[in-house]
Amino acid sequence: MYLYLPVALTSINILVPVGLGLAVGLLSGLFGVGGGFLMTPLLIMFGIPSTVAAATDSNQIVAASTSGTYAHWKVGNVDFKMGLYLLVGGSLGGVVGVQGIKLLRAMGNADFVIKMTYVLMLGIVGVYMFVESLQSMKKNKNAVVEEAKTEKESAMGRFLKSLPLQTRFEKSGITHSVFVPIVLGAFVGILAAIMGVGGGFLMVPIMVYMLRMPMHVVVGTSLFQILFTCIEVTFLQAYTNHSVDFILAVLLLLGSTVGAQVGAVFGRKLKAEQLKILLAGIVLAVTVKIIFELTLTPSLLLSQAGGH
Amino acid sequence: MHMHLHSFIIHYARFIGSTRFLGTLLLLLVYSLFQLVAAKPASAMLTARANHDHITIDFFYHGSSVSVRGEADPNVDLVIKITSPEGHQVLKQKGKVGGMLWMNVGQLKFENTPNFYEVFSTKKIDDILSRDEMEKYTIGYTALQKHVEVSPVANEEEKAKWFSEFVRFKEDSKVYATSFGKIETTMTKDGRQDYYILTDWPYQAQPGDYLVSVYAVKSGKVVEQAEAKVNVEQVGMVKALATMAKNNAAFYGFLSIGVALGAGFGVSLVFRKGGGAH
Repeated sequence: MYLYLPVALTSINILVPVGLGLAVGLLSGLFGVGGGFLMTPLLIMFGIPSTVAAATDSNQIVAASTSGTYAHWKVGNVDFKMGLYLLVGGSLGGVVGVQGIKLLRAMGNADFVIKMTYVLMLGIVGVYMFVESLQSMKKNKNAVVEEAKTEKESAMGRFLKSLPLQTRFEKSGITHSVFVPIVLGAFVGILAAIMGVGGGFLMVPIMVYMLRMPMHVVVGTSLFQILFTCIEVTFLQAYTNHSVDFILAVLLLLGSTVGAQVGAVFGRKLKAEQLKILLAGIVLAVTVKIIFELTLTPSLLLSQAGGH
Repeated sequence: MHMHLHSFIIHYARFIGSTRFLGTLLLLLVYSLFQLVAAKPASAMLTARANHDHITIDFFYHGSSVSVRGEADPNVDLVIKITSPEGHQVLKQKGKVGGMLWMNVGQLKFENTPNFYEVFSTKKIDDILSRDEMEKYTIGYTALQKHVEVSPVANEEEKAKWFSEFVRFKEDSKVYATSFGKIETTMTKDGRQDYYILTDWPYQAQPGDYLVSVYAVKSGKVVEQAEAKVNVEQVGMVKALATMAKNNAAFYGFLSIGVALGAGFGVSLVFRKGGGAH
């Protein structure tokens, strides 16, 4: 059955957005990412204008991350305090990132820098997570004591402990200076704004490897943080660009809210390393897809720009 | 000349002095003038009528069809052009960076460009119309290319290249098309030609007014022209939502967020039982 989308000005088979929502929602509940890096290009592929695809996806993520956050919160896997500090940093970073984009555009060649940043970030995160989780899976099997790593950690730990305003994050079982999550949140915020993505794929590894949060708390906390970011983005997109398609968002969230719940339940059955290596695999797959897009001659050399 | 004839008749009437004779002559004169006017052009009105000329877009709209029919002289070819009003369009332009990476390298502006452009003809346009006439009436892609302004391009060659990319892009979204042989024609009893075309109306065509121009073509020239209109309009909830998104953006934003939050919580509550505690 087809439904007409009043803002996208196109008609779509309802099974497409519901199915896409279900799949991406599942990943969202499993890994704590918004999934925009998958959803937006897929929607464009199905004929949705790019501006509407990105804006509507953020609306849909509001629903999926509410559903996912709730599911993770029920089992005590959301660190609200950490989430809030990351949010503060993220919004500061977002402001800086938007200015950065303006600067890049003024210098020309902005698209090149954006695309390269995106590919590099995806590639680095994907490879690092993949290798790291593969190693820790092996180590767990052989029950080797992580001596070298402990040494390294303590050096890094000493520096972090020397920072002022140390505070305890109960849910994650860690202590950090408040500046650590704010600065890291800002770093993700800047990059996310420049790349035009939510940044979940960056936030998750940062929480795991730099903040040293337990993987299952990372997923819940990341979703909590994404929820607020996407509420803000949805409103701005609806208000300034008129690019949110309500009907498309509803179709997507029908799938994604359910997917997020299933993902959260399924995620509890997986070990942290398994989750990490799966996410790494997806990030690497997206990297490869973008590399193909960059190198193969596109079928059309023109595409819709913003506005009309 | 008629004035001369007229005064001559009056003079002659006076000369004869008979009013009845004058009346008869005047009648004859009027009749012959009428005959002269009526017989002047050989062509007998081309007509065009679009059936289903008001297309409404509701939630279940998935495109439609439009038919155009009318009458024409028996010995003409026909061209039917359906267009939206002209405007300007800005598109992202892909190019190779560093000789190997494809990405957006800038934007191209297309002026005097219709968003929708379809041309149907009884025969191949190049075989029935001269270049000049095609350009005069903007019939066919070659003529449209001349009509459209593309910037920034360095020369005509580059313009041609990007215009053909533009056509490919538009054809891909089903809003540009040209074809021949789809118009059906039948001869009527009174020696006229009936024409008829039924064409799919793509759902990608945006709401608005569309102009159907029908051209009767003979010896490489347009000899007659008729027009009809097609209006595409959103109705009901589709219209209400589209209008709200534009005119009441803040409320629309809150509504979208509210529904998403509600749906997220709603589904969570449904799943609570099955979710399992610690």
